[in-house]
Amino acid sequence: MFARKTGWPVIAVAIAALVLSACTQTGTGTQSPTTQPSASPVSKVLRMARNAEPFSPFVPWQIDDNPALFISVNVYDTLLRTTKDGTNVEAGLATKWESTADGLTWTFTMRDGLKFSDGSAMKASDVKASLDVARAGEKSAWKDVYVAIKEITAPDDKTVKITLKQPYAPLLSVLAMFSSGILPADMAKATDAKDYDNTLAWKTKGTGAYYVEGWKKGDLIVLKRNPNYWKGTPALDEVRIEYIPDDNTRVLKLQGGETDVVDFVPFSQIAALNTQPNVKAQTFTIQQSAFIILNNSKPPLNDVKVRQALNYATDKEAIIKNVYFGQAKFMNSPIPQGTYWDKSLPGYPYDLEKAKKLMSESSGAAGFKMDMQVRSGNTNFANTAVILKEAWAKIGVTVDIQTLDTAVVRTNYRAGDYMSTPSAWTNDMNDPTEIVNYAMRGGTSPFAYWTRYNNPDLNDKITKADLEQDAKKREALYSEIQKIYLDAAPLAFIAYLGATAGWRNNVDGFFIDGLSYYRFEDVKFNK
Amino acid sequence: MGRATYIRRRLILMAFVLFGVTVVIFGMIRILPGDPAFLILGDRATDQKAAELREQLGLNRPFLEQYWMFVSGFAHGDMGRSLLYRQPVGDLVLTRVPITLALAAYAMGLAAIITLTFGILAAINKGGWPDQLIRIGFLFALTTPNFWFGILLILLFGLTLHWFPVAGFGETLPQHIWYLFLPALTLALQLSAVLIRNLRGQIILTMRSDYVRTANAKGLSASLVLLRHVLRNALLSTVTIFGLQFGFLVGGAIVVETVFALPGTGQLLIQSITARDYPVVQAITVVSAVLVIVVNLIVDLSYSFLDPRVTYE
Repeated sequence: MFARKTGWPVIAVAIAALVLSACTQTGTGTQSPTTQPSASPVSKVLRMARNAEPFSPFVPWQIDDNPALFISVNVYDTLLRTTKDGTNVEAGLATKWESTADGLTWTFTMRDGLKFSDGSAMKASDVKASLDVARAGEKSAWKDVYVAIKEITAPDDKTVKITLKQPYAPLLSVLAMFSSGILPADMAKATDAKDYDNTLAWKTKGTGAYYVEGWKKGDLIVLKRNPNYWKGTPALDEVRIEYIPDDNTRVLKLQGGETDVVDFVPFSQIAALNTQPNVKAQTFTIQQSAFIILNNSKPPLNDVKVRQALNYATDKEAIIKNVYFGQAKFMNSPIPQGTYWDKSLPGYPYDLEKAKKLMSESSGAAGFKMDMQVRSGNTNFANTAVILKEAWAKIGVTVDIQTLDTAVVRTNYRAGDYMSTPSAWTNDMNDPTEIVNYAMRGGTSPFAYWTRYNNPDLNDKITKADLEQDAKKREALYSEIQKIYLDAAPLAFIAYLGATAGWRNNVDGFFIDGLSYYRFEDVKFNK
Repeated sequence: MGRATYIRRRLILMAFVLFGVTVVIFGMIRILPGDPAFLILGDRATDQKAAELREQLGLNRPFLEQYWMFVSGFAHGDMGRSLLYRQPVGDLVLTRVPITLALAAYAMGLAAIITLTFGILAAINKGGWPDQLIRIGFLFALTTPNFWFGILLILLFGLTLHWFPVAGFGETLPQHIWYLFLPALTLALQLSAVLIRNLRGQIILTMRSDYVRTANAKGLSASLVLLRHVLRNALLSTVTIFGLQFGFLVGGAIVVETVFALPGTGQLLIQSITARDYPVVQAITVVSAVLVIVVNLIVDLSYSFLDPRVTYE
């Protein structure tokens, strides 16, 4: 028969391929066959679907991507932690910290009986070794945030002393960052070797609530409960994280009960999900903002009046309603809602008359044409651009929307080869020093977030704020900095964004904190 | 010319095609603007850091040298290291190839069943309502984008009926077969749409030929005539299209893998192009090209099984 003869190559290939893929899957070692989710009445295995896979080397100070750092904070604990609202620090591995009057020497006292996930004791020498590699290691991606540190010592097993070159107020926030995670000393030192194998790094040994036995791209990430966790035993035995890149598919899996938690729920689906019986969805406040980067070196954008006019002509409410489906807030200050955020600043409320007036007094009075380079695939940016094209046309600005590959947009704005581009910022630490140094300090790379805005007076104030020890004075300085930058309007400010997630009704305690970290230590099933 | 000589010739030809593929893909991905170093290091990287990384990754060497490293490495089975993941490309790609291949083969298997069933049904009911229904129905499948079609299938079979999982790949072999069904069906329905039209036409054409009339006249049963005499002759051109569609399947798999969250090469390819991960893009392209060429060769060879008159000249 024909069917046998024509069918065999196809069927043979299919069988061979399936067998082969089954072999490669079982060969990885991380997918233990013992746990079948949702078998017992109250499951102890949480399944999560995430939008992206980690790609950085899995060493806290070498991490440069969100999916990796979200795992890292569950595995590698830090001396201090950011409070849930993201505006302060609280005790982590250290319970007590104090500085000398000159602010140059800090002493940290750690908890009793701290252990790594393998049961070995954690000592001050491990802290010293880890932080030394984080601040000076060849491969550290975060050296810049530790430059103020002169020396770290461990006078005894429970005490760590950090000596600074000059007073540095953000130190405590830096020690609460994911990059300050603590590894056993020998492992920390080994990570800096030239050909350190990332598969070794994924066999984690930390003091966090979970540990990982190993991971390879394409596999599930399996977080296992750390029996030696200092806060007590987490309720979940395992968290199994899979990678589902498509937003719709992720949400469908949640609705279908194939996963318990998903991240990055599209803003448009939050309300709809909450009308369904078995799932919940929420937007958490995080330190993130969305705006349009303007190239301040390109006329007429070099005229502050033009930039202010664009800001007043930006219909923030329309964008919040139509792009973010109400899941965002009016951006009143140039920095996100974290420490020293000045909530009294007015921002640029939508005011077309004011915008027209400013425009008529500016060098762009005759109207002008401007490109807006939008990263392809980012629907929020694309929709924002469409709304702005219409809004800014009302003050005589013709926006030419150019949808380009992310790589191209980046190359262009680094080179100054653009006039405007939508972008967003998320704080990595709960201190404004990061954003003001990156987005406001001009003159050197990154040229105030590639805007080419440069105000020497503001640059001085930024330096002064880093050195200031007194919290009250720092707050006043940052208020001033925010006001100067807001008035200069190097960006078109739009909205504060949140991080979204959805989960099944039987999941308790899932929470995304101000720095958009989520820890599974307090998550459990209620039925 | 015997079959062995024919195969040898085709393999030599394949070497030339592959050389062309390597040149095109190597050139094309480098023409795309965008610096991998900044994509790896993120927005906040300094120029100096990026320069160090380029040096480390060998991106600042002359193009010819990079090309030679790519081709000679490939010839020795070394696909280089991923720029983004810093791990051997071989590990990254080869574990995924079977998944895409299984999906494509699964889809072809389903398409064969669907095509035969509905193609024959339409042909023997020529002009009747089953024929019209089949033709209109599959026209719909053909004209629907497969990412949307996939979501429709998920909504129906995954969420409403709970017959199949929404997405994912499963962990054991039976699970893989179960999980891959909907994505394979998505591809198969579109593929069948093309094949059914062709098969239906061919069957109708063949039924008019003299030998079929003779077979009917000598009193053979209708089903025997159809299966032994009509179908075998009608299938030849359908099989040709079937083989050519393998390339379409590998392409379609890219979208379907994303919708159904299958960790196959398609998904990796999209990520790698966005990240300008040159070695991974090169490896996937070359491996896909080899697969398509090999499958086409198999299809060409299958003619002689279908029709003993076919010789390879």
